[in-house]
Amino acid sequence: MSSATQIRAEETVLTPPSRWHGLLRRHATMPAILAVVLLGTYLWVNATDLDDIEQRALKTSELLRAVGEHVTLTALTTVLVVAIAGGGGILLTRPSMRWLAPFATGLANIGQATPAIGLLVLLSIYLGIGFSTTLICLVAYSVLPVLQNTIVGINQVDRHLIEAGRGIGMSPLAVLLRIELPLAVPVILAGVRTALVLAVGVATLATFISAGGLGSLIVTGIKLQRETVLVTGAVLTATLALTLDWLGGVISDLLRPRGLD
Amino acid sequence: MSRDVMIDLQQVSKFYRGQKAPVVENMSMTIQQGEIIVLVGPSGCGKTTTMKMINRLIEPSSGRILIDGTDVTALDGNDLRRQIGYVIQQVGLFPHMSVATNVGLVPRMLGWDRKRIEARADELLHLVGLEPAIYRNRLPRQLSGGQQQRVGVARALAADPPVMLMDEPFGATDPMTRDRLQNEFLRLQEQLRKTIVFVTHDFDEAIKMGTRIAVLGDRSKIRQFDTPENLLANPADSTVAQFIGRGARLKQLDLRRVDAITWEDVPLIAPDKATNGAKRQLEQAEGSSALTVDADNRPLRWVNAHDLTTDAGALAGAGQTVTTVEPQATLRDALDAMLASRDGAAVVVDEHGRYAGTVTLDGLMQVIHHTPEPEEPGAGVPDQRAGAAPAAELTPEQR
Ligand SMILES: Nc1ncnc2c1ncn2[C@@H]1O[C@H](COP(=O)(O)OP(=O)(O)O)[C@@H](O)[C@H]1O
Ligand SMILES: [Mg+2]
Repeated sequence: MSSATQIRAEETVLTPPSRWHGLLRRHATMPAILAVVLLGTYLWVNATDLDDIEQRALKTSELLRAVGEHVTLTALTTVLVVAIAGGGGILLTRPSMRWLAPFATGLANIGQATPAIGLLVLLSIYLGIGFSTTLICLVAYSVLPVLQNTIVGINQVDRHLIEAGRGIGMSPLAVLLRIELPLAVPVILAGVRTALVLAVGVATLATFISAGGLGSLIVTGIKLQRETVLVTGAVLTATLALTLDWLGGVISDLLRPRGLD
Repeated sequence: MSRDVMIDLQQVSKFYRGQKAPVVENMSMTIQQGEIIVLVGPSGCGKTTTMKMINRLIEPSSGRILIDGTDVTALDGNDLRRQIGYVIQQVGLFPHMSVATNVGLVPRMLGWDRKRIEARADELLHLVGLEPAIYRNRLPRQLSGGQQQRVGVARALAADPPVMLMDEPFGATDPMTRDRLQNEFLRLQEQLRKTIVFVTHDFDEAIKMGTRIAVLGDRSKIRQFDTPENLLANPADSTVAQFIGRGARLKQLDLRRVDAITWEDVPLIAPDKATNGAKRQLEQAEGSSALTVDADNRPLRWVNAHDLTTDAGALAGAGQTVTTVEPQATLRDALDAMLASRDGAAVVVDEHGRYAGTVTLDGLMQVIHHTPEPEEPGAGVPDQRAGAAPAAELTPEQR
């Protein structure tokens, strides 16, 4: 009986005291900062005398719509990018297709290296303006980090682990699902975070081809020289980007496989 | 000797595209059930390739491989590998899974229920000397290198496969840990009686582990395939001899155990007994020694006639220290113990430390001189044929 308790005591020493504790410590700062910034902006706008244009642009319903459009664009982009680049990255690390990887990342590089606004205009010439064109542009623009990180993340898994897995009779699919992907998760998610932030930024351009988003606030602010509108649009965009990045960090921490360090 | 053939390699070759020469060329080898076959040879000679063709991690280009009479190509590769234990030098424990999960992977793939998998993992951890209650929930990085390889061996044994493939399994550990792991594995094998293909580039390890040793040259060509004893005594050619290296006689000492040679008896002096009898005996045979023992017959000190003339009370501290060996120790261990003792003798003790006999340098010399002389063709005879000839001459002498 007493030896059993001793053993338990030893185990608690070996495992970190609490996952939640560490999570809180690492990730509590960003929400606090964002809350302060949002509150400050709100108070400042509130204290300012708003004219008609400003009041119309900064209506709660108007803001919610812009944020909603922006989030929708970003979320859809993320889903598509993870599916395309994640799936592609997995395929491009299979032994039979590995040789294709440089071409694929080269292609994705073109998407990212082209100035976003240029890409948007080019695409809208061929595809017309609107939501789906924006989405395609966003995907093309943010596919690279996820693709590259998926490839790097899987390739950095120790070859001997894969050999050991095959050696004890795991199928290639089992090796992928139980060894390669879990061990690549931190690197892949880092790519997804980068893609998210990129997507939030580029989505502000959606307004140029009438796809809405927070960019419309910024553009209105610039065109009509309304500082409050401009600042509100910029602050909301930045907050959204940082929130998503923060969320990505939390998720990445939660999904990080044990036993790595 | 009508044991079952467990693994049969028939004219197996491996070519890689774009390479003129094969990596393994027409390799044939028959392995009996329960043997540890060691493939030993220089780096790059094809040991790993040969081994991996047995579980089809590498598909042979030509030839056949039978395990227990069945052609390995008749089975699905994954199913085949689940029935063959596999241990590699880098261990390959999955860092994100607990020790128990790692060990239970193969049973899980074989569809065992959870209770049985857990019980089996505990059983195996216990078998390899890791207390399950302490280690089962640990992660691999919380183990030492030696402990990790024990878990690696446990994982390979999980589904009780009849055949095990081990590729330099102890190669990455420090010498002391390696020695311990080797000993433990040999002890385990006495119980388990697996058929094992063991790859190493270390000839000393080959001698220690092998039932039979295949010395391989380029393209996995078998230069010699024989028991460690015969290999040391009769290297087939100069390359093999070179590979065995210097000190073949010394290496032979690794092969024989203390219980395989005759022990001598020395006079014992129990603590409370009168010393007169022993003293008279010692005086008759000048220069010889007696052993003082405690109440349980455990040896204490070497004493000679001179030590005994002092009064009995002072006997406890008199004489020379004793070095002991157990009957299972190798003759090399015994030699080491003898050299550490002033009298050139080591005391053999049983598992409770009680006196059983003594072994001496003289006795050891006799053993060495009764084993066949190893040929040493390295000395100025680079030609292979010249090296092989004297070895062939030796063979009839040995029979
Ligand atoms: N996939 C491969 N393609 C081409 N050559 C290979 C491949 N794998 C191994 N080799 C070559 O085969 C030879 C034998 O390799 P290996 O069996 O690993 O040797 P060992 O285990 O004895 O050190 C080496 O010369 C190596 O370069
Ligand atoms: Mg090798």
